[in-house]
Amino acid sequence: MGKTLFEKIWDSHVVVGKDNGPSLIYIDRHLVHEVTSPQAFDGLRMNNRQVRRPDLTIATMDHNVPTTDRGLPILDQTSSVQIQTLEKNCQDFGIKLFDINSPNQGIVHVIGPQLGITLPGSTIVCGDSHTSTHGAFGALAFGIGTSEVEHVLASQTLWLEKPKPFEIRVEGKRKNPHAVTAKDIVLSIIKNIGTGGGTGTVIEYRGEGIEDLSMEQRMTICNMSIEAGARAGLIAPDEKTYDYLRGREYTPKNYESLVEYWRENLKSDDDAKFEKQFTLHIDDIAPQVSWGTNPGMTCDVTETVPTPDEFSKGDSNQKKGAEKALDYMDLESGTPIEEIKIDRVFIGSCTNARLEDLIEASKIIKGQKVSPDVRAMVVPGSQMVKKQAEEMGLDKIFIDANFEWREAGCSMCLGMNPDILSPGERCASTSNRNFEGRQGTGGRTHLVSPVMAAAAAINGHFVDVRKMDLS
Amino acid sequence: MKGNVIKYERDNIDTDVIIPGQYLKVHDYAELATHAMEGLDPDFHSKVKEGDFILSGKNFGCGSSREHAPIALSHSGVKAVLALSFARIFYRNSVDGAFLLPIEIEEDAYHGISQGDEIDIDISKNEIKNLTKNQTYKMKPFSEIIGKIIEAGGLFNYKP
Repeated sequence: MGKTLFEKIWDSHVVVGKDNGPSLIYIDRHLVHEVTSPQAFDGLRMNNRQVRRPDLTIATMDHNVPTTDRGLPILDQTSSVQIQTLEKNCQDFGIKLFDINSPNQGIVHVIGPQLGITLPGSTIVCGDSHTSTHGAFGALAFGIGTSEVEHVLASQTLWLEKPKPFEIRVEGKRKNPHAVTAKDIVLSIIKNIGTGGGTGTVIEYRGEGIEDLSMEQRMTICNMSIEAGARAGLIAPDEKTYDYLRGREYTPKNYESLVEYWRENLKSDDDAKFEKQFTLHIDDIAPQVSWGTNPGMTCDVTETVPTPDEFSKGDSNQKKGAEKALDYMDLESGTPIEEIKIDRVFIGSCTNARLEDLIEASKIIKGQKVSPDVRAMVVPGSQMVKKQAEEMGLDKIFIDANFEWREAGCSMCLGMNPDILSPGERCASTSNRNFEGRQGTGGRTHLVSPVMAAAAAINGHFVDVRKMDLS
Repeated sequence: MKGNVIKYERDNIDTDVIIPGQYLKVHDYAELATHAMEGLDPDFHSKVKEGDFILSGKNFGCGSSREHAPIALSHSGVKAVLALSFARIFYRNSVDGAFLLPIEIEEDAYHGISQGDEIDIDISKNEIKNLTKNQTYKMKPFSEIIGKIIEAGGLFNYKP
C-alpha cells in the first residue's frame, strides 16, 4: 500500500521504533526563542550536557521584544532578563542567535523560511505551537514543550507516537483571490471540523484551492493547523516551494540535487490511505470574522452573530461555551457582523505578517485614513519583511493612513510585550487566537485576514471586502 | 490517589486562560501558581488545595506549547486533570516534566462527578472511584509510551 507524504517523512526519520508503538524521531532543525527555552538550558547545565547539534539549532527573540525604538533600553525588567538569558545561553552553548539588533531578527516562523532554514522533507521543532507553519514547505513541523526542547537540545531526537494522516481538500480556484484569502480558507476549515477536529493527526492540505496559493498563503494555512488541534499540517512541495527557497542565506549548497530528490519523493502516493478526510469547495468560502473565544467560533462577514443554540447544534458544553463567549465578547446574537464596531486593529503575527499580507492590506488603505475611533498598528513579521516593505514604500502608505509602523515581533498576538488591548477594547486582528485575555486582560479579539483588518480600520467596523475594488 | 474535584463544565479550556501570556516571563513556580486559571476563574488560587483534581470537557489545554500551563497547575497543588479529551502538547507537557496526570475520561465520569466530590484514581486498574457518590468509572488507559514516562517520573528518566 502507498504512503502519505507525512508517513514518508516520518519513516525516513525513525532512529528506533516499532510500527504502532513509540518511535525515536530525528530532528533536522530546532528553532529556539526566549520564552520556552530558559529552563531547558538550565536542565542541560544541571546535568552537565552539551547541545548535541548546535549547527542545526537556530535562535531568535520574538515573543516579548518591544516593537518600538530598538535603540532604547527595554523597560520591562522581566522581558529584559529573558532576552539576556537567551543571549547568554546561545553564547555558552554555541548556538547561532539573531538578536534584537540583527537584520534577520523576527518571528521564528517568519524567519525560518525566509532564511532558507526550513526545508522540504525535514523535521522541524520549536517550543511554540505555531511551528506547524513550516509544513507549508512539505516539512513535518510541530510545537513542543520545554522538556522536549531540552531533550532535542541534548539528543537531536524526540520520542513520539505516530499521529494519523488527515486529508483536507480544498476544491476549486478562487474567483476573487484578493478578498477571499488563505486566512478565510483556514478559518472556514476550523469552523467546520472544530477546534479538536484535527487532534492526533497530521493534516495534509490538498486540492486545486491549495495548489493555487502562494508560499506565504500556504504558511497561513499550515500555521493554524494547531487551532484545529492537529499535531502538524503540511502541503506537498512543488515548483513554487523550490523557487521560494532557492538562493536564500541558509539554502544548502547542493540545493538543486535536493530539489531533484524532493520532486521524486515528496508527495503522497495515489493509493495512500488517510485515516480521516474533509473536503471544502472554494466557492463556499466568504471572508471570515470570528465572533467568539476560540477560532472555531467564526462566521461569514455577511452573517449575524449566531445564537448559542444555532452554534451548538444540541451539544450542551458547546452551548455553554457560546453563551460565555458572547458575554465575554459583549455581543448579542442576531447582530450583523458588519455592524460590529472596533477600537483597535492589529496587522501582525506568524499567521499574517509577511510581505504579501502587508502588500494586500496596503491596497485597501492607500489614500485613506484610519477611522478616528480606531487605533491601528502594523507589526511586520521580521526585520527583513519590514525592510522589503519599506523599499516598496508600504510604510509610507500605512503611516499616511495613521497606522503605527512597528519593529518585528509577536507583539499583540499574545500580549507578552507592552502591545496589549485595554479591558473591553475590541480588536480586528490578523493573529491566530481569540482566546479570552489573549491580547490583554479583558481584550476582545476578532480574527480576520489582513485585507479585512485593513478595511475595518478605515471603516471603524467590519465590511465585506468583496464589495471593494481590490484589483 | 485521592482528592477533591474542581469542575469546569466546558470544552476548550485553553492555555491562555490556564496561565495568561504576561506571566510567561515568571520563572518562580510558586509565583506562577498564584496566577493559575486566572483567565477563567480568578478565585482558583484561593480555593485550590494540595491534592485536588480538575475535571473538564473536551480539548483541555488547547493552544500554546507553554509548559508553564501544567507547571502552574501542578504548583497550585493539582495532581491530575480529568477531561473528555486533551490537546496534544499540553498532554505531553504534563507527563514529560512529571507535573500532573492527564486522565482521559468517558461521559459517565464527566457527568457523574460533581464539583467537590472526593474521588480515588487508580491508574493500575484504569479506574476512578467516586467516594462521595459511591460510583466507579473507567478511565482510558495510557498508551505504552505515556504509561512508561509516567512510571519513570518524566521524559528524561524514560527508557524504552
